[in-house]
Amino acid sequence: MIGAEGFVVAAIVMLAAAVPCGIVICRGSVLAALVAYELLSSVAVMVLILLAEGFRRPGEFELAVLLAVLLLGSGLVFARFLERWL
Amino acid sequence: MIRDIAADVFLALAVLVVLASAAGLLVMRDVYQKLHFVTPAALVAPLLVGVAVLIESGYSVNSSLTWLAVLFMLISAPYLSHATIRAARIRDEGDWRGSRPPGGRPVPEKDSR
Repeated sequence: MIGAEGFVVAAIVMLAAAVPCGIVICRGSVLAALVAYELLSSVAVMVLILLAEGFRRPGEFELAVLLAVLLLGSGLVFARFLERWL
Repeated sequence: MIRDIAADVFLALAVLVVLASAAGLLVMRDVYQKLHFVTPAALVAPLLVGVAVLIESGYSVNSSLTWLAVLFMLISAPYLSHATIRAARIRDEGDWRGSRPPGGRPVPEKDSR
């Protein structure tokens, strides 16, 4: 794997982390699902970065930046609502 | 050539960290234990990916946008962990500070000697 191919392969292999996270989301408690969601969203940001670098598309890095910004807001909203109301 | 190999090494480390974290998330029993395994995937792996992109692209728009995303992840991860553990404590015990009398100070522990 030389150059950009390594980034694409790393993105594909990194997506395998979605399987354990999906199992926890489907079978675990609500808060365990929130923890799995947080890990999965971090993985999604990294996969977007790796794919943008692997396919040499600078414009697609903005998707990763946008998702990284939204990561904090979405996680906090879920955590806040799961405290008492859900 | 050497730059490509170095970037691949950092990518492999990042993938290993993420997969190990996901496996730990699956294996651990409760929320408090599972939350420990979010930190490597949210803090260490993005740094490794950022270093790999920096090695591959040099100082460019790609690497600067990558490090911007990594910066947001580094900032948000501790807040998310704190909010999650606070939600878990409130759901378990009714108050994130633990057991206290209503409106009062925490009861001091008795000396067992």
